Amino acid sequence: MLRHEVVVVGAGLAGQRAALAAVEAGRDVAIVTKLHPLRSHSGAAQGGINAAIGPNDSIDAHTYDTVKGSDYLGDQDAIEYFCREAGPTVIEMEHFGTIFSRAEDGTLAQRPFGGAGFPRTVYAADRTGLALLQGLFERLGSERFTMYEEWELARIVVSEGRVQGIVAVDRRTGAVQEIAAKAVVIATGGAGRIYGRTTNAHSCTGDGMAVAYRAGAFLKDMEFVQFHPTALLEGGILVTEGARGEGGILKNALGERFMSKYAPKVLELASRDVVARAITTEILEGRGFTGPYGPYVTLELMHLGKEKIESRLQEICDLCRSFAGLDPVTTPIPISPAQHYMMGGVGTNIQGETNIAGLYAAGEAACVSIHGANRLGGNSLMETLVFGKSAGAAAAAYAAKAPSTALSPNEVDPVVASYRAWFERKDGEDPSQLRTELQATMDRYVNIFRTEADLAEGLKRVRAIKERFSRVHVVDQSKVFNLNLSDAIETEHMIDLAEAIIVGGYARTESRGAHFRTDFPKRDDAKWMKHTLAQYSPTGPTLSYSPVTMTRWEPKERVY
Amino acid sequence: MTESTVSVPFDVYRFQPGKDAAPRYQHYTLDLTPHTPVLTALLQIRAEIDPSLGLRYSCRSAICGSCAMQINSKSRLACETQVGPELERHGRIVVEPMRNQPVMRDLVVDQTPFWHEYSKIEPHLKLDPRRPMPADRPTEMTPAEVERFKETPRCIACAACYSACPAAEADPSFPGPMALAKLYRFAVDPRDSAHTDRLLRIQPNGLWLCLRCHLCTEACPKDVRPSERIRDLKEMAIAVQGATEHGSKHAVGFKENLKGAGQINEMKLVRATFGLGEMLGQVGQGIRIWRHKPELMKKPRKIEGMDELDKIYAALDPPPKEEP
Repeated sequence: MLRHEVVVVGAGLAGQRAALAAVEAGRDVAIVTKLHPLRSHSGAAQGGINAAIGPNDSIDAHTYDTVKGSDYLGDQDAIEYFCREAGPTVIEMEHFGTIFSRAEDGTLAQRPFGGAGFPRTVYAADRTGLALLQGLFERLGSERFTMYEEWELARIVVSEGRVQGIVAVDRRTGAVQEIAAKAVVIATGGAGRIYGRTTNAHSCTGDGMAVAYRAGAFLKDMEFVQFHPTALLEGGILVTEGARGEGGILKNALGERFMSKYAPKVLELASRDVVARAITTEILEGRGFTGPYGPYVTLELMHLGKEKIESRLQEICDLCRSFAGLDPVTTPIPISPAQHYMMGGVGTNIQGETNIAGLYAAGEAACVSIHGANRLGGNSLMETLVFGKSAGAAAAAYAAKAPSTALSPNEVDPVVASYRAWFERKDGEDPSQLRTELQATMDRYVNIFRTEADLAEGLKRVRAIKERFSRVHVVDQSKVFNLNLSDAIETEHMIDLAEAIIVGGYARTESRGAHFRTDFPKRDDAKWMKHTLAQYSPTGPTLSYSPVTMTRWEPKERVY
Repeated sequence: MTESTVSVPFDVYRFQPGKDAAPRYQHYTLDLTPHTPVLTALLQIRAEIDPSLGLRYSCRSAICGSCAMQINSKSRLACETQVGPELERHGRIVVEPMRNQPVMRDLVVDQTPFWHEYSKIEPHLKLDPRRPMPADRPTEMTPAEVERFKETPRCIACAACYSACPAAEADPSFPGPMALAKLYRFAVDPRDSAHTDRLLRIQPNGLWLCLRCHLCTEACPKDVRPSERIRDLKEMAIAVQGATEHGSKHAVGFKENLKGAGQINEMKLVRATFGLGEMLGQVGQGIRIWRHKPELMKKPRKIEGMDELDKIYAALDPPPKEEP
């Protein structure tokens, strides 16, 4: 049996940072990842990473902006910790080798981002995630650890009240393997592929969230799903908020710069939930353009000039030119909102601890919560590093003291048995068909504007898909790189998470941040300033609630 | 308003080593709009026709580097290659796995050799303990200094360059374009203190196996231009050490060789490249040339317009150095 002290699942920024912290603490560390680390979705982050290191900025200002951005659902102690760590973290990443964009005086360049009072977003052109991923991978690469690459997480084994290890499938051989571990860190990122129209990679299927949930971990605040205001084409390819940070403006079909109606002070640089709702409202009220990929508004960059667009927004230029066949130097970019980020995730504290001893989580897979009901642009890259490090360090400290694990060699059996059933059926449900129907359901019923009736209908449909999944059939019988098996594994995960999102959203009869109920359009602090906790049961999630931690910032009405 | 579709014929490479006796091409025809990415088409084949098709993919926006493959014999990212232009040019779309890496299944290749070459260049900052980073602030670097990395930070490690590289095919000891572009990225990094050491070690370790065919630069979806960075590395390596390899001796010898007459003196060039000792080992070859092409052995005559060439040399000397 394979055995390590700390197993990190996921090799994006959060996973790699957790692994580095655990290696530096002297532990025997393994990374289990379904993608090569440099192919992780962290690398797709474009606009930047927030740290209050500018001359007029302050940690307090960053904290306040994040608290306000969260619509007062973020835990203020965690946000204070996060904003304090942000500056040293950027410096550390620079020292690891990250190549950031610079100002003329040789300091790190910073650009304005939505919901922020200062130009606080450090960046590397419009490929900041890639730059950080390279820097961290290079740093981690000079350490000793084990990597299980192209392995998929199937199970977290919990017994005697603590984590004993994991079960995973090696995509290259089809082997179902156990890895004994004293501590497991979940860093598998988001679950955007629950939706059809999403900026997320195909790999963002919420594996770690779903497997932790089945193992007994709480999922926190799952109903808060961020929709990015500016996504391209029918698939929803991301166009960075940095485009608006650099001065890009939004216009409707009447040529109006409509953000003046929704956020008169900061216009396009209001927080994402506000801008996404504004765009959707314009479209719903008939002031959008119509196009082959659905209604849209436009993002204009032309006034910024060719040189600025091509240097600061080089990847966006390439995406527009090669994917949409248009040149942003001369043509407005057609955009509309698309799913982008899960504020919710496996519930943790600042150290990344969950409700299960030995189980930790960090990054988008986790919910600390610093983002509350709405995440500010530029805070997620920072979150992966700050909390990846704290979770990795905490997991290492726990593993150093924990008794040796007692993983029985037959923990693979239930996993093998369920896959065998999927393979052996003569016919049954096609996992990719179920996934497509799940995505269509979430797009239609659990989107930016929500109602009780829609959420009820969405839940009914998701549960019907869940029932059909019990008859899922994997056609491909091969062991090597069997993506049909991956389709089934991932779809099962996504169904569980979709159910938790809808049940949480149905119960929350208020509007806060990204969760907007047209039947309850006001925030209700008296009843709802609390975190939703969903616990797995075979009949669906059981909800409970936990208080929000407040330190210095009293809830106020949120105006931009 | 919807775009009209066209019928697109695909021939997709299928092979499972150990199971299939030989690779085959499976034919599919899909109705697609011309702007449809090849990746979308392949995923449609998986979803609607054949879920057993093996491929790697993730971000579908040309940033994760997963979906590099041969599309009509060119190394491309499937996500950013649209079917329309391919169909216009070739009448069909032939999809094959990347080259120079063993096939695991269908379009999925084993990238172990590619990553091995990457790790061999020691892709991490090496710091001089006597010159630590500033403790509480980032390294100062002007925008001009950032420019020295050229486009190398854009590399997404998709291996399209490695797949396109004939030197990697001919000689597995060649590090490949991506690893060398990565080496360049460290060799110009003002934070790195091992520039000289890196350049000393790469000269005898495959740098001169590059054929200068520029197919890597043509294949690169992110405009990293690996062949140009390899050229830079060659100049940098000669600058720190002089010419130590056949390749570098040939390059330096070539430049010196033209100076007298403006035509190549073959005998001198062979001697500059191989040295007198090794040259003697090639006496047999020399005799054959002397028999069949004796003009190659003669001392060249001065060309007309030699003064123009002299001006070029004057402009080149001293050569513009890429200070390592």
